[in-house]
Amino acid sequence: MNVEKMLLICEFEQWLYDEAQLLDDIEFDDWFDLMHTSLRYQMPVRVNKEGVERPDYSTDMFTFNDDIELLKLRVDRLKTDYAWAEIPPSRTRRFVSNVRVKDFVEGEKAVVKSYLLIYRSRSTDIQHDLISGERNDEFIFEEGKWKLSKRIFIVDQTTINTRNLAIFV
Amino acid sequence: MLKTDKSLEEMSKQQVVNYLNETVKPEEGVIPVYLLGDQKVYDIEHEKVFLKTWVFVGHESEVPNKGDFMTRDLAGYSLIITRDAEGEIRAFYNMCTHRGMKLCRADKGNKSLFTCPYHGFNFKNTGELVGVPLQKDIYGGTLDRSEMGLHKVKLESYKGLLFGTWNEDAEPLEEFLGDIKWYLDLLVGRAEMEVIGVPQRFVVNSNWKVGSDNFAGDSYHTMVTHGSIAKLGMVPNATYSKRGFQIHMDNGHGLNLGTPNPDFAFPEELKDEFKSNLTEEQYEVLSNLKNMIGNVFPNLSFLISHTKIKDQFISNTSIRMWRPIGHNKMEVIAWMLVEKNASQDWKDRSRDSFILTFSPSGIFEQDDTEVFTDITEAAQGPMPFLKNLTYNYTMGLHRDPVDFIGPGIAYDDKFTEASQRNFYKYWLELMTK
Repeated sequence: MNVEKMLLICEFEQWLYDEAQLLDDIEFDDWFDLMHTSLRYQMPVRVNKEGVERPDYSTDMFTFNDDIELLKLRVDRLKTDYAWAEIPPSRTRRFVSNVRVKDFVEGEKAVVKSYLLIYRSRSTDIQHDLISGERNDEFIFEEGKWKLSKRIFIVDQTTINTRNLAIFV
Repeated sequence: MLKTDKSLEEMSKQQVVNYLNETVKPEEGVIPVYLLGDQKVYDIEHEKVFLKTWVFVGHESEVPNKGDFMTRDLAGYSLIITRDAEGEIRAFYNMCTHRGMKLCRADKGNKSLFTCPYHGFNFKNTGELVGVPLQKDIYGGTLDRSEMGLHKVKLESYKGLLFGTWNEDAEPLEEFLGDIKWYLDLLVGRAEMEVIGVPQRFVVNSNWKVGSDNFAGDSYHTMVTHGSIAKLGMVPNATYSKRGFQIHMDNGHGLNLGTPNPDFAFPEELKDEFKSNLTEEQYEVLSNLKNMIGNVFPNLSFLISHTKIKDQFISNTSIRMWRPIGHNKMEVIAWMLVEKNASQDWKDRSRDSFILTFSPSGIFEQDDTEVFTDITEAAQGPMPFLKNLTYNYTMGLHRDPVDFIGPGIAYDDKFTEASQRNFYKYWLELMTK
């Protein structure tokens, strides 16, 4: 690996770390600003298939399938006094790793894969939930910044072991 | 209140049943808190409710082609549901008849032969044992394969909804469903319906009855729990959920029907299909339907929801099962259904409205699970039993039913607890039988 490639990976690692921090710190408006207007934010439902049959997720049912407008609605909802699912907010910790830059055109676009592990704690619960999976992200360079234009989160569980996804992945 | 020296733990099964009979008083609106938190009650439920009644296992459209199969749960036991070469749908216990290994461990797929991972016994999707490795050599021709077919499970369909039961003496499915069929027609009989993709699955630390109770008749919570929806302009106002009818019927089934609706909630171009599938009375209700939320006893809930998304009204139709995993835990399995002949645009928008509102990320769903979890936690352990804590289910006891165009006992708005009392009445009947 050359230095250029290392810097590139580093750049997207930092982007993903910063994003994780905004979500964990419940800075949803700032997080939303990282999104490109052409956003497609998807989380397909995972399926147990026979043998090596692929893909082992649904291509037409999702846990998230938002565009920028629907994502905005979710963010706005969390600001109402009735978003009980996040009152008090979950304490989350997002661990991002295995960042790989798959495609890159300078000043234009990038495709980045990463692993994500979310620790989620609710209220006084001593139990925690873990959500693990792979992110397939696409970025568009706009006004001097990388904006997320597509995210497909492939979750590792077929039955999700958390009471809801009032949090983002 | 009744006092007892014994804890539930110390009681025999018969004593628990007797105690239920003395303390659960659905007709007076008195439901004890321990029903949601006790392992013994849960164990009796498993035997007397889930092993006795018809339980939902899936929709026919999930196995559309010959050779399709899916695995499902029936009262804690795995089933393989297959469609054979002639198109017939069957259900089998997912257990090899030789040594009991689970035969199939995929959620779904297409194949006509199931091979046991333990000794390689082969079963056709009709249940017959067709292959045993080295059979002649090791059994000397004495193995009677015809006696070793997969254990067949009683399966019946109502308008595509597949129900199974372990109870050989169960009444026919249509009889068990009774008057709720009229309303299920609006849900899944109005047109040819299909499941989109696969069901959503997630775990909530809640007793299953909280889910059934909520869908059977609790529109009252909508104002507060789902208050954000009115704030976001997805429904006109917070008391939107009061208008309509609450209806219940025999065998613990119940529903809330929201009406009127100035807009037609379904694909306009399918009006002829709806008319040809429904009676005149049913079509009249459908034309005016704002939403419909109900529960087929014990744990199949259903929903037609109609909300404004991106300045456009769109309905979505879904069914969900509150699959008990423990007295304080359930798996929610939610299927989204749509008219097969609707436009792709309608299907996509309807699906996305389902995902946004009632999937695990759904902005209605999220807040329900929060409530379900805390209710269940508050019911755990010996204290609610020792202190004789009860819930109040007296809302609407003073009211008289009204005439309604469909069957069942109907009230002329949704804010009453008659449906929940009816749910617990039948539950108690089964538990103490």
